Amino acid sequence: MNPTRDTRATLVDLLDRVLDKGLVLDADLIIHVAGIPLLGVKLRAALAGMETMLKYGIWQDWDEALRAIATKEYRQKKVATAPEREIATLCHKSGDTGITAL
Amino acid sequence: MENRGRYIYGVAASGSTVSLGPIGIEGNDVFTIPHRDFCAIAHSCPAEPYQSGDEETVKKWVKTHQDVLDEAKKVLGTVIPMGFDTILQSKDDAVSPDQVVKDWLKEDSERLQAIMEKIKGRDEYGVQIFYAPGTIAKQISEESQEIRKIKEEMAGKSPGTAYLYKQKVERAVKAEIERLANDWFKDFYARVRRHCDDIVVEKTRKADRNKVLLLNLSCLVAMESVANLGEELEKINNTEGFSVHFSGPWPPYSFVAKPVVPVKEEAK
Repeated sequence: MNPTRDTRATLVDLLDRVLDKGLVLDADLIIHVAGIPLLGVKLRAALAGMETMLKYGIWQDWDEALRAIATKEYRQKKVATAPEREIATLCHKSGDTGITAL
Repeated sequence: MENRGRYIYGVAASGSTVSLGPIGIEGNDVFTIPHRDFCAIAHSCPAEPYQSGDEETVKKWVKTHQDVLDEAKKVLGTVIPMGFDTILQSKDDAVSPDQVVKDWLKEDSERLQAIMEKIKGRDEYGVQIFYAPGTIAKQISEESQEIRKIKEEMAGKSPGTAYLYKQKVERAVKAEIERLANDWFKDFYARVRRHCDDIVVEKTRKADRNKVLLLNLSCLVAMESVANLGEELEKINNTEGFSVHFSGPWPPYSFVAKPVVPVKEEAK
């Protein structure tokens, strides 16, 4: 089968990507919405790019608890990059979501 | 007054100054801001984010963001995409907004170079694999001995008792789907993975009533592997009870935010 870029069929794919993903920049560089960095608004993208952000010092001022949650999620993501465990962990997840939706 | 902001669509590996015309968000002129081997694809705007409570407006902006990246790719080659509303601003009147962008490109050049290496000649594809619970349940109740046995016992029972048996069947089917879902996941994941240079497992979400999203993947795929991936997905799509949504090519949105890790050979 061929991949599609049909606008109607792929709107969700597009929104998921453009609103939540893409290259993350240093918060000092970009504009702020009412004092909150845009990165704060885009929390999901921020979590994905945490190592980069740590490197650039973005997280330093963030609330401790929030950081703990993010670290946990990041670790889970990191576990997920190990091929064998990845499948096991993710299977568990997909089992949960897939079945409850029945 | 001169606009103090630069809306950034992405970064290309080209040091040239190019005008892409008035194709930007709200009809803005899109141009490149180069520094050495890289250029930012940008439009000039006030240092304020694009915000709207109106869904249609946001969708239109998002589509335009994507259209600009498509056009930039045609003209400049591989593009590292930014997320929506990435606006750089000049905080100091002595430094022009273009200079802020150039300084950033300079500062970040090592990371940009590493990302560019990783994504060159590759695109992102979205792969979603669904199963149809109705069809699968039917298959299972025909094939499972346990369920056939319960059904046989049910025959000839009073309506009240039969109802209890029916519930028992439903529970057994559900448990069996749960068990099988793990196997499907492993199988499909491995079959898709081998055609990708990198892969991100996205959260699943509720699909419509007739299908359940089993796997939601973002795949970084080399141009020469796309046809093979398509063939693999075709096979899955042709399997009774399953369907595949295959979108792309997208700029590699899902592969530019996380730290660059070398692709393991054995995973390919």
